[in-house]
Amino acid sequence: MATVEFQGISFDIDEDGFLQRFEDWCPEWVEYVKESEGIKDLTDEHQKVLDFLQDYYKKNGIAPMVRILSKVTGFKLKHIYELFPSGPGKGACKMAGLPKPTGCV
Amino acid sequence: MAFISAGYDPKHPMQDRITDIGPRKYDEFYPPVIAKNKGKWLYHEIIEPGMLMHKAESGDEVYTVRAGTARLCSVTYIREICDIADKYCGGHVRWTTRNNVEFMVEDLETAKALKEDLNNRKFDGGSHKFPVGGTGAGITNIVHTQGWVHCHTPATDASGTVKVVMDDLFEEFGAHNMPAPIRISMACCLNMCGAVHCSDIAILGYHRKPPIIDHEYLDNLCEIPLAVAACPMGAIRPSKHEMPDGKTVKSVAIKNERCMFCGNCYTMCPSLPLSDKEGDGLVIMAGGKISNRISNPKFSKVVVAFIPNEPPRWPTLSKVIRQIVDAYRTDARKYERLGAWAERIGWERFFEKCGLEFSEHLIDDFRDPAYYTWRQTTNFKW
Repeated sequence: MATVEFQGISFDIDEDGFLQRFEDWCPEWVEYVKESEGIKDLTDEHQKVLDFLQDYYKKNGIAPMVRILSKVTGFKLKHIYELFPSGPGKGACKMAGLPKPTGCV
Repeated sequence: MAFISAGYDPKHPMQDRITDIGPRKYDEFYPPVIAKNKGKWLYHEIIEPGMLMHKAESGDEVYTVRAGTARLCSVTYIREICDIADKYCGGHVRWTTRNNVEFMVEDLETAKALKEDLNNRKFDGGSHKFPVGGTGAGITNIVHTQGWVHCHTPATDASGTVKVVMDDLFEEFGAHNMPAPIRISMACCLNMCGAVHCSDIAILGYHRKPPIIDHEYLDNLCEIPLAVAACPMGAIRPSKHEMPDGKTVKSVAIKNERCMFCGNCYTMCPSLPLSDKEGDGLVIMAGGKISNRISNPKFSKVVVAFIPNEPPRWPTLSKVIRQIVDAYRTDARKYERLGAWAERIGWERFFEKCGLEFSEHLIDDFRDPAYYTWRQTTNFKW
């Protein structure tokens, strides 16, 4: 487990750069991750995806399926990739502080 | 080594990015004789083990020399294949669906010279680099998985067990001694990547102990409902766990008497590891096939419940496989696949002829369909 320091806050992360604890998430985390995820400026659309992922995770204990993410935010998968070039899992979930996707990925 | 850029600009990751171009089209790599006669083949013959001849309507012939590979191979090895292909085949070569390598030439003399050349190439340790064979009613390459080389859920090793079994059955790779082809496959856990569920003989990595629960990290690293839903036996339920420091954390509880050690929950949740040195080992399955020839495709059935992991040479494993292969070769009729043989003589005879022990582990007990695998007839042999 590695620790990174950003704007005076330290985050515990794994080798793929996912937060080790959801509770450690704070807006600075998004600022820290966005460069490595190929995102220049954070728009309202980015924020909408992140907010939904966090709400869904808090409520259900899992990340939403891609179709649910699309349906609720109204963003087609193509648009989600435009917002988060690494995709909904590696990009958006990482920024939202959710646990790393598992299974045969 | 110092960093050398390929031209990618991390400051502008999406600039000059090429995507969705797919694989190269297969016909870019056809040997000329294949391109010319595509879709116009009349018949084929197996000239000798490892060597095929296809005759085209035009009268053209193409001779294919098939050689075994270890599947897991270095760039040096691939370059050697390219050198051989440059020397004999105009730079063309192909791989089969069982990870053998095939060199194609246009006349028999070149094919014979190529076969001899391939059979003479050895590694420093003495192993054949390109043993010719894998055709007809013999034993061809073993479809296998990652094992301890790269995967995180295996119960055994893939490359190691496969090398052991192929060493033991090596003479059958370059011969046509069997009643029908024997397909052997290997998977290092029961995700069954590859072909174990539909092979004449299958080697499968198996656990015998339930997962260890890492309560401290589980809720942070896992999506608990996914771990619960991953269990085919409903053995996992969400629970609260009190840590030694008095803090209560969200976690899961596992009913050990319901757990059958499939490892699916570990796939979904890194805090439920279950691999164990003494507990883990191998299951042997037999009798599967995928072709429609004579009988319909079949699933392979479990015939040996447990063989311990014995790296590096897995002696019990190779002994058991040899027993099954020998019994099948002496007893089965021509064209009869291993599963067809076992079904014709009856599985009770299969166990007798192969010298395998039948234990309660082999009796299906998974949900309603288990019932159909029991014997609801008085037809059996003492």
